[in-house]
Amino acid sequence: MIHDSEDATDPPAGLDPTDLRRLAEWRSQDILFCIARAPGDPRLLVGSSDFGVDALDPTADKPQRQRFAGTGHHSYVTGLAIAGGQLISGSYDRQLIWWDLETGQQRRVQTAHDRWIRRLIASPDGKRLYSVADDMTCRVWDAASGESLATLRGHATETPHGYPSMLYAVAVSPDGRWLAAGDRVGHVAVWDTETFQQVATLEAPTMYTWDPRARRHSIGGIRSLAFSPAGTELAVGGIGKIGNIDHLQGPARVEIFRWREGERLQELEDETRKGLVEQMVWMPDGKRLLTVGGDHKGFLTFYDVGSGELLHQEGTGGHLHGVAIARDWQTLAVAGHQSIAEWTLQPPEEEA
Amino acid sequence: MNWLLKRLPAVRPARSALAGAATLWVLGFCLSVLLTSRVAAGEPATATTSGVSPGAGGASAAAQRLAGEIDAAIAASQRAAGIEPGAVVEDAGFARRVTLDLAGRIPTTAELQAFLDDPAPGKRRRLIERLLTTADYAFHQRNQLDLLLLARLRRDGAWRDYLLQASRERRPWDQLLREILLPEREQPDEAGAAAFLRHRAKDLDALTNDTSSLLFGINIACAKCHDHPLVVDWEQRHYFGMASFFKRTYTTRGGSVAERFEGDVRFTTIYGEEKDASFMFLSGARVEEPAVERSDAEWKQVRQQIKEAEKNDQADPPPLPAFSPRAQLVDLALEDPRRYLAKNVANRLWARLLGRGLVDPLDQMHSENPPSHPALLERLAEELVAHDYQLSHLVRAIMISDTYARSSRLADAEPPPPEAFAVALPRPLTPHQLALSLSLATRDPAALPGPAKPSDWEQQRAAWEQRAEGWARRFEIPSPRFQVPVEEAMLLSNGTEMQQDLLADRSDRLVGALQKQPSVPEQIDRAFRAILSRPAEPAERERLAAYLEARRDRPVAGLRQMVWALLTSAEFRFNH
Amino acid sequence: MHRQRTDLGSPPATVSRRQLLGAAAVGSTVAAADMNRLSLFSQSGLAGEIARGDKSVILLWLAGGASQLETWDPKPGRSTGGPFAKIQTSVPGIEISELLPKMSQRLNETAIIRSLNTKIADHGGGYALMDTGRRSEPGVEFPHLGAIIAHELAQRESQVPDHIEMYTSTEGRRKGAAGFLGARYNPMFLTDSMMPDNIQRLEAISDADHADRASLQQFLSQRFSRDVPHPAVDSHNAAYGRVRGLMASDYLFDVDREPQSMRDHYGPTQFGQQCLVARRLVEAGVPFVKVARAWWDSHGQNFETHRELCADLDHVMAALLDDLKQRGLLDKTLVVTMGEFGRTPKINGSLGRDHFASAWSCTLSGCGIRGGSVYGKTDEDGQTVIEGETGAGDLFATIFAALGIDHTKEYMLGSRPIPIADFDSFPIREILA
Repeated sequence: MIHDSEDATDPPAGLDPTDLRRLAEWRSQDILFCIARAPGDPRLLVGSSDFGVDALDPTADKPQRQRFAGTGHHSYVTGLAIAGGQLISGSYDRQLIWWDLETGQQRRVQTAHDRWIRRLIASPDGKRLYSVADDMTCRVWDAASGESLATLRGHATETPHGYPSMLYAVAVSPDGRWLAAGDRVGHVAVWDTETFQQVATLEAPTMYTWDPRARRHSIGGIRSLAFSPAGTELAVGGIGKIGNIDHLQGPARVEIFRWREGERLQELEDETRKGLVEQMVWMPDGKRLLTVGGDHKGFLTFYDVGSGELLHQEGTGGHLHGVAIARDWQTLAVAGHQSIAEWTLQPPEEEA
Repeated sequence: MNWLLKRLPAVRPARSALAGAATLWVLGFCLSVLLTSRVAAGEPATATTSGVSPGAGGASAAAQRLAGEIDAAIAASQRAAGIEPGAVVEDAGFARRVTLDLAGRIPTTAELQAFLDDPAPGKRRRLIERLLTTADYAFHQRNQLDLLLLARLRRDGAWRDYLLQASRERRPWDQLLREILLPEREQPDEAGAAAFLRHRAKDLDALTNDTSSLLFGINIACAKCHDHPLVVDWEQRHYFGMASFFKRTYTTRGGSVAERFEGDVRFTTIYGEEKDASFMFLSGARVEEPAVERSDAEWKQVRQQIKEAEKNDQADPPPLPAFSPRAQLVDLALEDPRRYLAKNVANRLWARLLGRGLVDPLDQMHSENPPSHPALLERLAEELVAHDYQLSHLVRAIMISDTYARSSRLADAEPPPPEAFAVALPRPLTPHQLALSLSLATRDPAALPGPAKPSDWEQQRAAWEQRAEGWARRFEIPSPRFQVPVEEAMLLSNGTEMQQDLLADRSDRLVGALQKQPSVPEQIDRAFRAILSRPAEPAERERLAAYLEARRDRPVAGLRQMVWALLTSAEFRFNH
Repeated sequence: MHRQRTDLGSPPATVSRRQLLGAAAVGSTVAAADMNRLSLFSQSGLAGEIARGDKSVILLWLAGGASQLETWDPKPGRSTGGPFAKIQTSVPGIEISELLPKMSQRLNETAIIRSLNTKIADHGGGYALMDTGRRSEPGVEFPHLGAIIAHELAQRESQVPDHIEMYTSTEGRRKGAAGFLGARYNPMFLTDSMMPDNIQRLEAISDADHADRASLQQFLSQRFSRDVPHPAVDSHNAAYGRVRGLMASDYLFDVDREPQSMRDHYGPTQFGQQCLVARRLVEAGVPFVKVARAWWDSHGQNFETHRELCADLDHVMAALLDDLKQRGLLDKTLVVTMGEFGRTPKINGSLGRDHFASAWSCTLSGCGIRGGSVYGKTDEDGQTVIEGETGAGDLFATIFAALGIDHTKEYMLGSRPIPIADFDSFPIREILA
């Protein structure tokens, strides 16, 4: 997630995806579903399949994961957000937990949804939290008090085939005004965060594969959303059509919309490194897009949104679930299957 | 072994020439018999085969000798067991049986009548010889080979075309073995022959088991996990030894079969020991791969080309290794002193014609399951090899024997043990036999040819085969302990094709033709001959006359129902 | 121990073939096919049949291998447990996955076996093992469960079919075979349509003619089979003998005959509607119905897939048990719910689980079962069975025992005895009523 302007430095000009290289990796036995960084804080904050929330300081001599303490979550931690100097986590256990970034202690816990929370983000001004869950609601919270400000219902609880649906993705525009959520069957709803009125809908049905004949269930869904820096485009990430739905063997897929007009500008599909697009980050120029995700392996893939060209791609051994980017794009931290890693777009220094 | 590989291509044309010569000889022989038969005095049909003049030598005399050996061996075991052989089947039954077994269909009414009317001695032998030369034989042989080798797995048109061509040419069994196990070398431009391997290529177990079972009569599936629990002959090393020959086999994106240059089988014994399998045939005979020096660059290139071929259907055909495990397998199989290849196909031919193998079950050829007539099976295998693997030699010999000609009727007696071969066993028609016979039986008999076939009979028969495909797919493939599934009874009782096509009231159909008969008894008789290949018996005539009388006001319905009852009777369903 | 033998070789000595053939009438399901193979006329056979009564089996086949960790044996909090929680059930002390909330309230007639260790983890091999109750053997075609049940439970003069399998999805579609019991016990196999093919008389022929025609065919066929006695020939007569009885059962497959409320009770999914047909069939006396719900093979996205499939299973299985109970059928119907194996505790990179046959679960509900029981235990991560290890043979022995069928009964294949449950298999007494 791009963080707020509390960071002093501006992003450097001329970031070149082909300069992407990995700096370090920390392997573990668990699965990391989300990653965040607080401004001015070098630590990588991760949410784990072992129900914990950890901080890893890559600048330390021997980086170790330090666990945040408290009663904690009772299931996978699938969302992390930084708001008002605090860390908030969301989990399959339906709860949101507030953590003190300095003391590492749990501050508050509350049940937030009726079903598993899939994603959690903060508004750019740090005053609100937005969460999506499989109760098919997108909920708005006061980041400081935890008070529920709104419950937005823009998605059907059942798929067209009569099965319970999932609400996977949520994003907010850089100016904080627009909020988007995307679900299992490829439906996107956009709300005005001031009025909480739904202002637009988009459809990306290719993201949802229902197999009526061979295996009789579905797979896929919209897994990530990202507004462009100008706020006028919305990237929708997921997976393309899959033949054998036992596996994630489908092309990584992104659709770009001019969301107000409901116009689809671009379809990007990659067959080389297949799987789900789990998270996306627009580069500051608003022309290029970073996507991370995977199937049984993982990828970081950069696209030129205008031309649709795949600019650069790196594969990883494990599926990537999340990415956190320092404001200056100095480092990209990714988290995923049994791994946390730091990458950079800075070209290596010339040897002295 | 390489010298063998180089030698073999030179041998093949000679065999084809021999097969070609044999065909010409048989044709010539038939012609001479036709010319001489008019003068022979009538001779009663006895329990022994009325012989052809002893002067006719070559293929026929050898078959006759072998038939004699067959009968002697069978008779000896019957005597030892105190079993009386059953009577010889009567002419009509014989004609139906051999036509099904050689032409893959029931005889037409005209063919049947010509046979029954033929007064000359030796007509049974002549019928067999004639049927061996007809276009029908190749189609039927093709269908039988398909059933044996692939049909349970897949229906493959190119494969069926390949088998048809091979059957037409009377290609010998060892050549077929070579072509289906080495299609990329023997038939590189033919997609068909590769089907045996291609449809199993993704499953090493299927390749190993099916080859062993179908081509060599040995089911070693159980020996994969441990030395076979029930059969001492087969150990894990036999299983994995055979698997080794197939380990390197792969298919290209374009659908061809090929072999890698490397790849060995490792297996874990029940003691947890890891072992490398060697290339070992079921007989225990082994082959060592010669060491080859290849540079890293050469390896890289070869692997790259293979990878290309696997991924891209436009890629060049991949290189073929000088050492081919499958070629080694073929050589070992042909050199095998135990003659598993010959014994298996002889056993299966025997089972096809007699209803039960000399080794039963057909894939259990091992020391604890001896053949019912071990010496006979050895002789059949020997004869096959001596006649250059020409299957028709065995087919002929078996079919001219007395053993083949037993009646299937038991006359209220206890059935003798099947391995005595004292009576003929009823054999369910194969899907194609049934489909073709249903079609044929329901045509206007007058429109179907007798023994002399029109010049386009080949094409006509091919068209019959095409039409039969749809039906054939619905019928069960015969298997040990075969039972007719109720779905078949439902299909024929309530399906639209039966009603609207086979039973159609049209002039080109039996139902239409029967209406032209002057009386009910003649309608009944005509129907019986067309469908069951025999006249009706008195009790049947009586019952059917009553049935048709009761429908006097709607005669077409009556005729349709009679025809239906005959078509769906058990007697029609079986070869007996 | 007394073993009840059923001889598949020679006909019974005391009754002549002619007498038996004469007794066979149109519509009789036990025709001459059985005679040469099975001796059904012994005293103990008849008595046994009366004791077995009007019982049925419904097999809910979770094709592809459902995850025990997302159903009956959850391990929340362990690294292998996945994200879902466990929930209390109507039986104190038993907890199952939160993905089966309806079933959690209906365990009173269900026993869970958590300790299956069947070792075969490929689809074809696992299916063969779990459907025949034993490892396959070359040269012997063991009958599948449906054929055995049909053979053991079918009422002699029954007009309804006795073995039905529904498998509509194409993946993993395999048909149960009767093996050496003979094609007589093959299933009626429904795939694309729930109405069996060719079950309805064509309009072109009247019912009277259809029946008369069948009699005529039988007259001709029986003359032949008298002269050429052979099991295959006899099977032909048997097959035709069953046609009209099966035709008369066509209404059983017509789910439109159920009120809308009943259709809604089972829900809109294909699995639900097929289970409704299954209830109709067992209500009419069909001894064995298999309904396959494919395809659980979640190598990727295990949790998402189980959300969907468990929702279906939960709703439909609960609806079926409720319906059977309400109609008084549950104590005569055994519902078996299982797949060919379970899924790995280890979660792979696509958030999937792979094949796993070392420690998995199945359930038995209804007839002869002590409801609310759990048999067997797995370790805390679900990797191994630590108590009550059960194989396919034991499961079959338990199924037979629950139905009142002697699990030690043997079929004779020639001179070789083949017990209906594999050697050294024992019913799990703890879960039998």
